Amino acid sequence: MALRRPSVEGPEFASLVRQTNDVLARLEANRFDFATVPELFAKDAAADVIAKEIVHVHDGKTMTRYGRLIMGGVGSHFNLMGPIPPNARLQITPTTILSDVNRQLKSKGLSDLPEYRKLGNVEEIEFFNYEIFYTLRDLAFWLVLHDAGSFPSSLEVMVRHIAAGNIVQSNQYSPRKPSRNRKQPAMMAAGCLSVSFPTSVVEWMDKPIFGGLAPDTIHVETLLTSKKSGVSHPYLPLQREGKLTLKGKSYYYRRFVGVTPKDGLRGPNIKAENAADKY
Amino acid sequence: MVAETQSFDLYVRGSIPAAMSGSLFVAAARRHKDRSRFSRWHDSQADLIRLDLLPGKPGRIRARILSVDPWKFCANSKSARPFYPFQPNHGLNIEGDSLWATNLLFGAPLEVDLRTWKPRRSLAEVPLRPDAPQLSSTSHFAFDLDRRYAYFHESALTQGDRTVLAENLVIVRLDTKTGTKRTWDLQAPQDDPAAEGHNFHSAFYFEEAGKPFLGLLRTGAIVESLAPHSVPADHDVVPMQPSTIWIVQLDDSRSTLVATLLPGIRQLGAIALSHLDVDASSRNGFVLYANYKQADVAEETHGENLYGEQPADVAEHYSGMIVEAINYGMVFRYHRVNGQYSLRSFSRAYDSQRTSLGHSWLPINIELNSSRNRLFCSFAGFRPRLLPRHIARAYRDAVVDIHRIRHVPSLLMRFDPATLVPDFDNQRTYLSYTEPVAFAVAGDAPNDFIWTFSPETGLKLYRSHDLSQVLCHAVSPYLMNWRDTHFRPDPAHMVFAHT
Repeated sequence: MALRRPSVEGPEFASLVRQTNDVLARLEANRFDFATVPELFAKDAAADVIAKEIVHVHDGKTMTRYGRLIMGGVGSHFNLMGPIPPNARLQITPTTILSDVNRQLKSKGLSDLPEYRKLGNVEEIEFFNYEIFYTLRDLAFWLVLHDAGSFPSSLEVMVRHIAAGNIVQSNQYSPRKPSRNRKQPAMMAAGCLSVSFPTSVVEWMDKPIFGGLAPDTIHVETLLTSKKSGVSHPYLPLQREGKLTLKGKSYYYRRFVGVTPKDGLRGPNIKAENAADKY
Repeated sequence: MVAETQSFDLYVRGSIPAAMSGSLFVAAARRHKDRSRFSRWHDSQADLIRLDLLPGKPGRIRARILSVDPWKFCANSKSARPFYPFQPNHGLNIEGDSLWATNLLFGAPLEVDLRTWKPRRSLAEVPLRPDAPQLSSTSHFAFDLDRRYAYFHESALTQGDRTVLAENLVIVRLDTKTGTKRTWDLQAPQDDPAAEGHNFHSAFYFEEAGKPFLGLLRTGAIVESLAPHSVPADHDVVPMQPSTIWIVQLDDSRSTLVATLLPGIRQLGAIALSHLDVDASSRNGFVLYANYKQADVAEETHGENLYGEQPADVAEHYSGMIVEAINYGMVFRYHRVNGQYSLRSFSRAYDSQRTSLGHSWLPINIELNSSRNRLFCSFAGFRPRLLPRHIARAYRDAVVDIHRIRHVPSLLMRFDPATLVPDFDNQRTYLSYTEPVAFAVAGDAPNDFIWTFSPETGLKLYRSHDLSQVLCHAVSPYLMNWRDTHFRPDPAHMVFAHT
């Protein structure tokens, strides 16, 4: 989502926090219906994950994902949100695993794909202001405070994750040169995001929700397992499989490549959910 | 009959209550991941998923997937063919140690032994002929009040000039203890003669004035072509006529039963009457809960969409997939006693500003809890870019406004069965959006539970009075895929049984 109010100073911030608390009280008293809190609707949203290159490592006990995400956005400040298990370890730390895997597979990763190459120049950015939300109220509070807003249908996805005991993590990011043009959004790449959590099975990520810009997502995903595996990706076809070595350790790999649709798509030129809709 | 099985454990988070000792059964369809390959979704390879539940914290859940005759739909197989005696990817009917699994529309029920998890036989009672190469049967059986007998219909399907026609309609009574069957010929009501719409997705049993009756939801799917399209091009769609319900008095002394129409149903004017639950325990009439999908369930996705987009330009397009609704559907409650009836309905568009009100887009499952004081309904929602233009054209006056509609998320909602009003509270414990449509109510009130399932989101357990907190969540990647195929569309139904 784009943040329309990334930060404010001192006393004004205290005032905003109070106002936001009042908004949340209204929302809670009305079963989280946006009709009573129209200021929660996101305005002119245009930010999406355009492509993702991910290495998933599963050792039989723990799932670790290393991701390089390519985001597109119109605006100056954005945040990337997603659910993770509450016992996950989320890190933003340098790693060479994506390039190490590509080198052994004689691949350029996303750049192998014409759909990705069409995107043009991508600016390297870094995540900052990492946050965790434990309740729907926490999450909605942050969205109102920063005037990021949300859409009722998208928020329901997070409601389900919170009901299942997941937490929602959020990272902010910002391009050096913001775009104001939907046809030429700023393209930003962030590497080094990793998340690790205990599980005896391979767990894939959910499909991203449509954020108003890119209805599809370009993927290069590689699964590394210590034992030979027949695990397949839920949507992507298998491109190739074999063995590779990372830091002296052998892995079986399965690489999945393709383009998938986002969740929550609407027809062309149809506006996002908004406060002006009449039902 | 050739059967393949695959077994694996799910990863379980949370706990499985002791009352949930048993198994869940899901009928799934499997398709190639290449979305551009046309394959009619009714015809896709069927797999039965069994999830054995071992209570505990976290407990254990073991999946066993049974595929029957998996070669049939392999494009490279010389044995691949357009018609089949059974391909159970939809309905699940269980009594004792037997499961009868059914297709949405085509083929006969397949009987599976729950002890061995192996197929026993198919229940094809209507002879096939070269000009009638396919069967249709009821997906969701009726059971009498002590579940001794199950009832369903069968018919042969022939290719007419413009549509497929049903002929040789029979009612089958299956003795669930002995496995023996008897059949009656079934004669259509005089005021519902059109044989192209004589298909019945669900059935129910009731008694009135000491006599046994069968109710058949006459869905009215109109299939233009018995075989799948060889080239999936836009074509004229023969629109479905309003669904209705046939009532048949069961009489052992006769060889032919004559159906009549249940009053007040056809006048609702809606299409694709599909699923039901019923309380016939009074033995004098019934309270029926049923839903209209408002979707042309005989069609499938292909061709240009509502917005004029070509399939190649729509990544979410899946050639041959389950069709979207043309508008929001309806759930109704029909109370009949002493020959009189009263009717209530729930029908609502999705209002994104008031999500707490729920919606009725593409109703799928409908199930009462054991004490019949809670009614659960699932709704599949709407994906506007997947509605083909050639289907919408056939329903010009009823189709949703494409300039206003957006994606509508799926929904599981709890109702008050007496009033058919959502079971509102301030904590939103009565609804759950983005929930899979397949669910099963399990356990005994007041401590009953509800399981939901899809291959991607896995298996989730809630207490039936609180859909805002998951008790158990279990996942496995092997639920999503079978080699290079994957389970699509999401399964519609799931059934719990103490095994």
